[in-house]
Amino acid sequence: MQIRVKCSCGENCPEWAMLELQGMVEVQPQFQDRLHNLKIGLLCRPSSSPETYTFTVGYHELTGTKVPLKKPLLVLNKAKHTGEDVRVELEVIGIIRHRILFKTRPKALISKTQPTLKERATLAPS
Amino acid sequence: METPSSDCRGAEAVLNLQPNSSVPITYHPLFGPHNDLILLELDQKLVPDILHQRVTVRGQPDEDAVICTESKTYAIKSVGTSNSVFLIPPSCQFNSFEEPKCFDVNYHDQQSAASVLKIAPGTMELVEIAPRLDKLKLLLSENPYRSDEDIEMGDLEEMERENVGLYKWDDLIEKVQASNDELRNGLQALSAVEIDGYWRIVDEKYMDIILRMLLHNAVLNDWSFTSLNEDEVVNVLISDGFPRKLANHCLCVFGSKVEGGAGISNIWKLDERKVCVHFARETLRDGKRKMESFMEEWMRKIPEGMQASFDMLEGEVLTERIGIETWIRAFRVSSLSGNPAERFSILFKERPKWEWKDLQPFIRDLNVPGLSAEGLLLKYTRRLQPTMDTEPVFSSR
Repeated sequence: MQIRVKCSCGENCPEWAMLELQGMVEVQPQFQDRLHNLKIGLLCRPSSSPETYTFTVGYHELTGTKVPLKKPLLVLNKAKHTGEDVRVELEVIGIIRHRILFKTRPKALISKTQPTLKERATLAPS
Repeated sequence: METPSSDCRGAEAVLNLQPNSSVPITYHPLFGPHNDLILLELDQKLVPDILHQRVTVRGQPDEDAVICTESKTYAIKSVGTSNSVFLIPPSCQFNSFEEPKCFDVNYHDQQSAASVLKIAPGTMELVEIAPRLDKLKLLLSENPYRSDEDIEMGDLEEMERENVGLYKWDDLIEKVQASNDELRNGLQALSAVEIDGYWRIVDEKYMDIILRMLLHNAVLNDWSFTSLNEDEVVNVLISDGFPRKLANHCLCVFGSKVEGGAGISNIWKLDERKVCVHFARETLRDGKRKMESFMEEWMRKIPEGMQASFDMLEGEVLTERIGIETWIRAFRVSSLSGNPAERFSILFKERPKWEWKDLQPFIRDLNVPGLSAEGLLLKYTRRLQPTMDTEPVFSSR
């Protein structure tokens, strides 16, 4: 079987963004079945240093940097066509050339309400 | 109301975020596992190949898929991550016109945020590998072209219908995990020839008949082995009853074109080594022989004007001493697996210990990207060298 990797974008492959952080972002139980459009956090680019970013999730702030990927990542879409026999198509739909990497532990922000122990363990949406 | 420009949402909002500004990150209206979206890590130099659609994925359902460019083959390795990797598509892709259902501070509409479509569990990486050409040999050996094969078109259709080991180029790239260039080289290494659209290896006995006829014609017509005129040679072979394709193939297998001064040369020169090796193979076809009787018969078969020497048989034969006698038998590197683990296993089954000079002809063709010959020996053999001035001996690990 041979599958040609299709690409209709030529040289103008749409660039995707990638945020990477350690651990998991947990959604508070009351939002778990209503994820769509739910705010995860706020990504800020302070003016102080050029490639520094902060990502505020709930009462926590992550600090990270934008780094170019040594090897780019292609976003491939695998499509199955069920006709007489199953045909698989692979298409390049995007490319990722940078990631914003948050590799430090989250810093707790002073919050209005005193977080309970349970809430402190999770990164909750505001 | 003004429609927000595309730079303040989607991936663009993140990629072009200006100092002193911010963008909310949300779950995409279509957020989900999206198992059909795959991240493939790619060396920068391969990106143009992908963007210009020169890359294919090859393999049967029961094989690990490989990715082939025009010239190379890569294994696909899946690499997981424990980090959370948020993927944000550009605003032009994965649009949803669905309005957010909840309008409270916890939600943002897609127009003013960058939204995460998927959390990627890992990526795929490519590792360059040697093409998997053993299968090519296997496929073409199913149905070699033989002398008694006077194929009429009807027979051919029948064979095709019955699917008896006939493969076109397009069938081969469906079945063999190798890039186009590697497949072409593989076909050449097997001395395969395209006959009526099918890639075939020609039965050695049939090649033997054609070669003998060619040599015989050379003597009759007083042709020189180093200066054979293609048209003359081929036409005489055709009049002897051989198909043109096979007559040409015989020149390709046992000779090479002489570089002409200008224009395309049609002068060929027979390769002494290839002809001599062919006759050694013929001599050993029926099994092992005593060295003296082998040498005698081999020499008798060598055409006049050619010089055979035992060195030519490196990688073709094994010799062993039984009592006071030396025996020789066929053991061809070209018949061994191209997979290093399998190759060494066959070699050590054949002989538990190998001296370097004996071993080298049987492993020098192994090609493992990223692993040198020394690396191969280190990985698959144990080296024994009792003293500095003795020859090292290699045994199984």
